Formats: sequence, structure tokens, C-alpha cells
Amino acid sequence: MSVPELVTVSVDGREVQVPKGTGLVETALAAGIEIPVFCYEPRLGPAIGACRMCLVEVEGMPPKPQAACTLTAQDGMVVKTALTSQLARNAQNATLEFILVNHPLDCPVCDKGGECPLQDLTFRFGPGRTRMTFPKRTFDKPIPISPTISLDRERCILCYRCTRFSESVAEDGELVAVNRGAQSMIATFEDEPYRGRFSGNVTELCPVGALLPTTYRFEARPWEIQTVPTVCGLCPVGCNVNVTTREGKVKRVLSRNHPDVDGGWICDKGRFAFGHLGARDRIVDPLRRQRRRGLQPAGWDEAVDEAERLLRAAQGRIVTALSGSETVEQAYGLAKLMRTGLGAHTAVLPEEISDAVDGFRLPLSAIAGAELIVVVGDDPVEERAPIVDLWLRAARRNGAEVVTTGVGGGAKACRQLAGEDDELGRRLRESDRPVLIWSGSGGAGGAHVAACAERLGFGSKPDSGVFYLPLTPNGRGVVEAWSAASDDEGPDPDPIGLLFVSGDEAASDPSVRSLAERADAVIATTMFQGSAVGWADLVLPGTSYLERDGTFVNLEGRLQRLRRAVVPPTPDELAWISQLAGRFGVEVSPYPSVVFGELSERIFGGLPYGEVGERAALRGREPTGELRAPAPAATPKGRGLRLVRYRPLFSGAAVERVPELAFQRPAAEVQLSPQDARRLRIKAGDEVDVRSNGTSRRLRARIDKGLVAGVARIADEHAEELQATVEVARA
Amino acid sequence: MIDEIRRVAEQYPVARSAILPALRIAQERHGGWLPPEAFEEVGEALDLTPAYCKAVASFYDMFHLEPVGRHLVELCTNVSCALVGAQQVLEAFEEELGVRPGETTEDGAVTLRTIECAGGCGWGTVVVVDHRYREPVRAEDVPGIVQELRDAD
Ligand code: SF4
Ligand code: SF4
Ligand code: FES
Repeated sequence: MSVPELVTVSVDGREVQVPKGTGLVETALAAGIEIPVFCYEPRLGPAIGACRMCLVEVEGMPPKPQAACTLTAQDGMVVKTALTSQLARNAQNATLEFILVNHPLDCPVCDKGGECPLQDLTFRFGPGRTRMTFPKRTFDKPIPISPTISLDRERCILCYRCTRFSESVAEDGELVAVNRGAQSMIATFEDEPYRGRFSGNVTELCPVGALLPTTYRFEARPWEIQTVPTVCGLCPVGCNVNVTTREGKVKRVLSRNHPDVDGGWICDKGRFAFGHLGARDRIVDPLRRQRRRGLQPAGWDEAVDEAERLLRAAQGRIVTALSGSETVEQAYGLAKLMRTGLGAHTAVLPEEISDAVDGFRLPLSAIAGAELIVVVGDDPVEERAPIVDLWLRAARRNGAEVVTTGVGGGAKACRQLAGEDDELGRRLRESDRPVLIWSGSGGAGGAHVAACAERLGFGSKPDSGVFYLPLTPNGRGVVEAWSAASDDEGPDPDPIGLLFVSGDEAASDPSVRSLAERADAVIATTMFQGSAVGWADLVLPGTSYLERDGTFVNLEGRLQRLRRAVVPPTPDELAWISQLAGRFGVEVSPYPSVVFGELSERIFGGLPYGEVGERAALRGREPTGELRAPAPAATPKGRGLRLVRYRPLFSGAAVERVPELAFQRPAAEVQLSPQDARRLRIKAGDEVDVRSNGTSRRLRARIDKGLVAGVARIADEHAEELQATVEVARA
Repeated sequence: MIDEIRRVAEQYPVARSAILPALRIAQERHGGWLPPEAFEEVGEALDLTPAYCKAVASFYDMFHLEPVGRHLVELCTNVSCALVGAQQVLEAFEEELGVRPGETTEDGAVTLRTIECAGGCGWGTVVVVDHRYREPVRAEDVPGIVQELRDAD
């Protein structure tokens, strides 16, 4: 990397040296001087100079105030802010007075009050008194622009941060400014809600109380709240978040910028799904099946006794079904109990996990700087790991080419790419900054795509990268922890004496259900009644990622710290795992820090718990053994289209319990490639029947240019019983 | 219409640059104004969201978001025209048509609007009738213009 040229700039008489091209706002900050801003936000793209709050005087430029946010540091520049320039001060006072002309005196009832840039800057800058004695412009307020976001147009200062986010970050184009001049206002189309995976970010960007989360309305004041830095546990990205709590309740989730992971954005699932903590069917007491009376609440002592009894009775013929949402410590504790204590080594996870991609490890942010990106696999990236989609969009804006291929046949696509005469493969070989991403199931946990990268020569290119997007938020950490607990192995038990189901995701997995049917007894630990209550013999209450301390490993392989934001209404998993382990002579501490200490010695190089850090670093590349190319998968025979199911972002036990997110659930659609649509004479929006072996579903057609021919993609919850090959016809 | 818009878009390096001609085509097709469906159609043709299309249309004065009459009378009230009697011309139109600026006669024949400078400052007052300039127009010319529109209707 070349060292950037340093330039000297004088700000209010103080000289600073900054790299050439540094924004003037940052340059002034380096000199210890604040230039107030509203619209300036570098993450939204080039500055637009909309609000004029940042006016300064620059010597040698036209003798009128300049918008500092649109300028960059040049050598010898002499800048005077409102501190030393009367011109700038007058301009700034006038700007603020104008901004306030139509701003209502809402602060006492505004949720932004106390943490509002407009309030703060009005306090510190500007004339201090108003000459405005006329009636102000009024609007209906607040209007819901979606079930999760409300808009108060009176408070809007038209800084265009929100619309720039919509247009140039999320690129959803749903939130816009209509009309012009003094009549401008922020709007969605007609009465449509602002639907998008990232819409909630505008509530954090808005520098006033115009866009606010409905879920936080009148919930708390800044001086009553506490902030807990943790990570989101709902998908494998592991966005860094701040959780706002008040009186032991989660009130909201905000982003906490980790520039390498999330760039300060979070998705609406991570932001709004916290409502599941208070779900009506949340289990807070253990439940024990009693003859003829079904499941009955039980005390903890009784429950642990019963668990011990069931575990002993199984005589080691135990299968553990993990969710991939356990903390590393929880998984390790459970593994110690099962493997060392009971000799039960068999565990199942909703997906295959491999460390093959670790040899091509890069931070997620590197995607934005890539040159050529190839995404293979069945699932839309934004459904599996939404923030990765934002990085892909950033890459495209930066000039990268993003190719989606291999929908309905990722393994085949990988083989093809790595082949001798594949055009795309050739370009990947030649590129200095190529990135391969596997998004979907069936990727052997990343092994297929890693093998492909190996053969394309990624190994010798430090700026190349491979990402595998797991299904589960901490599947990687769970697998590492499970294998760290013991080196022994044992045969898969048959018949199964006991099935231990850890977590709601495992409990709702159909293959776990069928294991349960074959097991003599089932212990389940779930948060919600709906998940396992019908078929378990003992249910131990589960906790949420917002209620746990510990660590998670995200899709990059980054070890991140989870902090307990609120105390769960029930002892957490590690507490009773530790107790149970004791009964089998195994020592498991109930404290995540102690468990981590032990585990870290084995797999994280002795890293102390305290050093995982608020902004966790990424481990270096880890060479993996020989990588085998995927075996050819059998292509399903028969006419019709191959059904590709995906799990939508807005689904799962937590989302289902948050009414505000219902509008984001996927529509009953089938996605078709343009070729198939044409062949079948189906237009976008047509009602179609999707049939297979006697089942039929009526869905709406959507044409997706990213799909290859021969594939019909349907969200899991709408595909229901459909088989692997389907016929699609207009209804 | 979607095909027509796409043909126009082909002349631009990026399709979305064709948004203004596209909106104009849509407006013509929809009887002189842009109902919500029009934004959906333009959006589909250019791969834009309806919200974006509406944002653009609402910025420009020559796009109408409300139904208009079969004829459009637009009158400049900016300074050059104001100096030579735009106000009187406007009042004459109001009188003849029985509507105020921004309104449409009850029979749906004529919409009267005031506009910003139409670029004919040397020949004020400029009145734009169905997209054609009449200049200069005096108050006494107004009954004739209105009669002409009624006859043509
Ligand atoms: S709603 Fe907020 S972010 Fe959007 S333009 Fe208004 S003040 Fe800015
Ligand atoms: S992208 Fe994933 S980790 Fe980030 S907020 Fe959304 S669900 Fe959570
Ligand atoms: S911050 Fe510079 S114009 Fe808004």
C-alpha cells in the first residue's frame, strides 16, 4: 500500500497534518475543532451539502461561506470556522434559524429528545433565540411508514440522509423525497409500507426525531437507559450491536459500527426481533411429562433430577441435536457433559460445517474492495446473511462485477469454474482480488467452494477471499466447541435411547422431529411452548442470545463477545448444564468466562476472555488440509423444474413472535428464471399452480433474473410439502 | 407503452436516465396526468421503483399528479410577465372559466394553472395553451382563447 501524502491545513489558526483528501470535517476534528453537521455521513456516499450547517470560510476560495463537508484537505488550506470567522458565524446562525423555522417544539414528547443532534447543535451553535412568530407548517403526525417505523414530517429537516440510505446503501429505492423546495417531504410510494431488509437503519441516521422506531415510542429517556455492547445472534454475520435496556427490559437494538463486519448497518431482523423475549408462549419453568396429565410445570431440582434419570437410563445411547445458536461455552459445556460424562459422541447440527474456507479468510469488508465476485448456491445472499448483501452492493458501486451462478447446482458450478476452459473461472484466476461466496445448503460447509478456490489459485493471492454463509448463527463456534471437548469417538446409537434437543431451531427442524420419533425419550431445551412441548418428555426453558454471556464465531471465523443485556427469566443453560455435569463427575463451570478459559487453551490459543474485545479482531488465515473437489451430485430426473427451497430472513422462532415484523414475511411467491417464465407463458404477478406428486400450491410468480433456467425457488414456509421436482403452470 | 419507453431508453447509456421522456409518454397515455399505475408502469419499464418515479415526477412542474382537463392553460406570472399585466390576464381567465389557478372547469374541459417563467420574457404575458405558446396575450384576448378551446372541444 502506498503511503498517502500528508498535507498541512490551518483550522482557526491551528495547524494539522492529515492525509491529502481527508474530509474537512475530519481535518477540523484532528485539530480539535468541531464543525457541526446534519447531512454529512460518509457511509452514505459522496457528500451532498444539503443542510448547510457546516459552513466555514476558506481563504482563497470565493468570498462566501463554503460547505465544509463537501471539501477535502489540500496543502496550505486556511480554514476559519464560526469560532474565528464572523462570516461563517453569521451563515451558521442563519442556517440554524432557518432549519428551526418549521421545526415544532416537540422536544418534551419526542423520543429523540436527549440524544438528538438537532437539539444538541441548537444548544451549542446558532443564535440562541428565535424571531419566528408565524404559524409553523403542520402535517398529520406521526404517520407509520411501516409497522416498525413512524415518520413525523414536521420534525424533518430535509437532510436527505434517509433517502440516500435507501437509494445508495440498501438500494431499495423505497424511501424518497417528493415535491420540491419548501413543499418537499419524505414519503414511500402511495400508502405502501417501507419494506426492506434494512429499513430500520434510517431511524438511526435521522438527525432529528422524524424517523423513529415504533417499538421505542415513549419507552424510555436517554438518562434512564443502559447500553450493553454485544453482537446479534440471529444470523452468521454477527453484527455488532448496542442493546438499550431499561429496568431490565430490552427496549431497542442499535448498530455498533464494526467497520470490518457490518459497517454500522444492521438488518431489521436484528433490530426488531427482540420482542421475542417477551413472547406469550415463553417457557419460564421446566416442564415434565407426567402420566396421563401431559407436561406439567416442575421445580428446577425436580427437573435436574429427572434429566439425570433420563440421561442415565439411556446408557450412553444419546444423540444431541444442536441448533447452532448456542454460545461456544454452552456448546462446550454440553459436549463435556455428553462426551466425557456419558460417552455420547453423536451430535447433529442443522447443517454441515467445515473449516475449509479458513484458508482463504478475509474480513467481510474486503468484499467492498473486490474486483470480481462469484456467488454460487441456492439461497439469495440477503436471506441468509443480509449484511453480506450490503457489502456486495458496495462492491458493485465500487466497480466490481458480481456474478450469481449455480442456483440449483452449486457443486456443479464449482467444478465448472475450476475447470480448464471456463471463461468465468479464467477471469477469477486472473483477478488480483477475486471473491467466491457460497450461499445456500449443500455446500459441504464450504468445502466445495474452498476446493474450487484452491484450484483457481486463490491460495497465492492474499487479497482473494472465500466466504461460506452458514445457516446457523454460531454453527461454526458450536462445531469447534463440540470437537474441542473430547478426542474420543463412538458409534451412532441405534436404537436411540435419548434425544437431547438443544434450542428452538433444532426443535423445529423436521429431521430432528423424526429422530425424536425413534427415540425412547426426549429432553428439549427451548424458549417457546410452540417448539417442542408436544413431543418432549422434559422441557428445560431456554434463553436468547440477548440474555447470555459468552462468545460466538461468525461466518468469517471471527470470535466475538456476547454480553448479557438482560437477565433471563430462568437460569441460563450453562447453569444447569454445570449442575448436571456434576452429577456425572464432570466439571463444567457455570461461568462463561471460566469455560472460555478452559476452551481457549485448547482451540483459541489461550486468548483471555477479556481480550476477545468489543471490536473483535479476525484470526489470520488457517491453512487447511487437502481439499477435495465435490463429487458430482445426482441431477434429479424427470420433467418439470427443480424445487429450490430457501429459508427467508424473516422467519424462525423469534421473528414469528414479533407482530411488527409480520409485514416483512415473504410473500407466497415462486421465483422463476426469465427463460422458464417465457417458456411457460408466465408473467410476473401471475397466479400459478406449483404441483408435485399430488400436492399443489397456488402461488404468485416472480421473475428473478439471477435464477438459472430449470429452477423454481420458493420460501420454505410456502413450499410446504412440495417435492424436489415440480410442475409450474398458470392457474 | 412499456415497449415504447424501453425503445426510448435504448438511446441512453443507462436506462434510468430516460425517466423524464418515460414519464412524459406515460402522462400522454393516461390523459394528461400520472395516476399511481403510471409510476408502476414506468418503474417496470426502466427497472426503477414506483417511489423513485413519483419522486422525480413530483419535482417537475410539467408532470401532473392530479387529473387535468382536456385542455391546459398555463400562464406565467413571473416578473417580466407580471410587469406587463399577467395578473389581469389571469383574472380574465378566472372570470371566463369560473375557476381559480390549479382548478379544472366543472365540465372537465379546461385546467388553469400559473407557472414559473416559460422563457418568453420579451413577449409577455406568455400563455401556454395545450403546450403551445401564445405571446403576448392581453386580458382582452382571453375570451377569444377560451371560445377557441370550447369550439375545439
Ligand atoms: S426524515 Fe430525518 S433523515 Fe430523512 S430527511 Fe428528514 S431529517 Fe433527514
Ligand atoms: S445481518 Fe444477521 S447478524 Fe446482522 S443484524 Fe441481521 S440477523 Fe443480526
Ligand atoms: S453537513 Fe455540510 S451541508 Fe450538511
